[in-house]
Amino acid sequence: MAMFGKKGAELVREAKQTLATTDQFRPFNKDLFEQVVKETEEHYGHLQERMSQIRVNDSTEGGDPNFVGGCAQHRSVLRNKRCLLAYVNARMSKIKHLRWDLGAVLPDDITGNLSATERTFFQGYSDALSSYMAEINLDLTVDSTPPKDPYVQIRVIGNLGEVLLDDQETSLLPHSIHFMTRTEAEPLVMQGLLEIYQG
Amino acid sequence: MANYYDLDDILMEEEYVTVHFKFEAKGLGVLDPGSEHDDIEAGAVVDIPLWLAHDLCLRKFVSIKLPSFYNERIRKEIQADASCVDLGRYCPYFYELGLRLAPISPDPTLGSFLLYCLQGRYKDMLCKAHTVALTTAPKFLNLLTREETQLFEAARDSVKSYNKWRFQGARLERAAVLGRKRRLNALLSPFELT
Repeated sequence: MAMFGKKGAELVREAKQTLATTDQFRPFNKDLFEQVVKETEEHYGHLQERMSQIRVNDSTEGGDPNFVGGCAQHRSVLRNKRCLLAYVNARMSKIKHLRWDLGAVLPDDITGNLSATERTFFQGYSDALSSYMAEINLDLTVDSTPPKDPYVQIRVIGNLGEVLLDDQETSLLPHSIHFMTRTEAEPLVMQGLLEIYQG
Repeated sequence: MANYYDLDDILMEEEYVTVHFKFEAKGLGVLDPGSEHDDIEAGAVVDIPLWLAHDLCLRKFVSIKLPSFYNERIRKEIQADASCVDLGRYCPYFYELGLRLAPISPDPTLGSFLLYCLQGRYKDMLCKAHTVALTTAPKFLNLLTREETQLFEAARDSVKSYNKWRFQGARLERAAVLGRKRRLNALLSPFELT
């Protein structure tokens, strides 16, 4: 039974929550999404039924009952379309942020919450950004906050092992403290492998 | 007209308004819980979502009745002391809904009433936003509509960022989307740590 937009509104509420949750990435609600698509098809069916019953030379003043009903069905189709697009759009803007925050490779628990098309989008967006940055020869994702000092002191949290820093190999063992350039530290801090150490 | 993808605009249009059907409408019986068959008869009074009502009203198929929270009683309350009225409870989209209804409603004073109402509440709200404690959620936050809450948060955030800048400077932090720190630490096995 067509619900006149109730499911669509639920989906938009879900989108709002996706934007509001900052400590994780919510999974794509495929179930609800498909329910809205199905409901849209139902409305479309009703609309066709109404259209087929409209008599062209109806002289009744104002509204043919079929026309009034048809308008409402048509409106419902447009409404559901808007809800669906808004949901996809909200997630898309969030996925773009992932590229800036976490770099080209996403952790598994986040990738698992993306739908297949969203993964393709992320890949495409990531490639586009990477090739642009290669072209202008500048990493745009670092220095998101203006630095006060080119060097920072960091403490290792994750297990990194041997890393090539500043053209020499350094061993970043857990809980060890190092001094390195801010540009090198920033992506690793964003990924949660290092933290800024303030002694 | 708001952005097509604006989530709040979409949710605001989901608010119900009461309309009066001027003509018979086929196949809309679902909308009227009191209806026994598939159609809505001419003259029926039904609650439908704004997005539907707006369109039908522009086509002159229905006439709109203003929701109860724009009535005379509430207006008197606002005149008495605007900042104490619990608008959030009446409708979180009080202003946006009113703005959309104003051109199609029979009441010409609605627009000026909304402006008067916001002016009355704005000054008080902004004052509080800059002075209340930053950590606790103040009690009067419940009285605000969604738009007012956004204004309030914006003012409070500006105070917060000013303090942050003033006292400690910008810091690098891990991306918030990864969740709290504990989860990553738990992934490391104890053998690797020793």
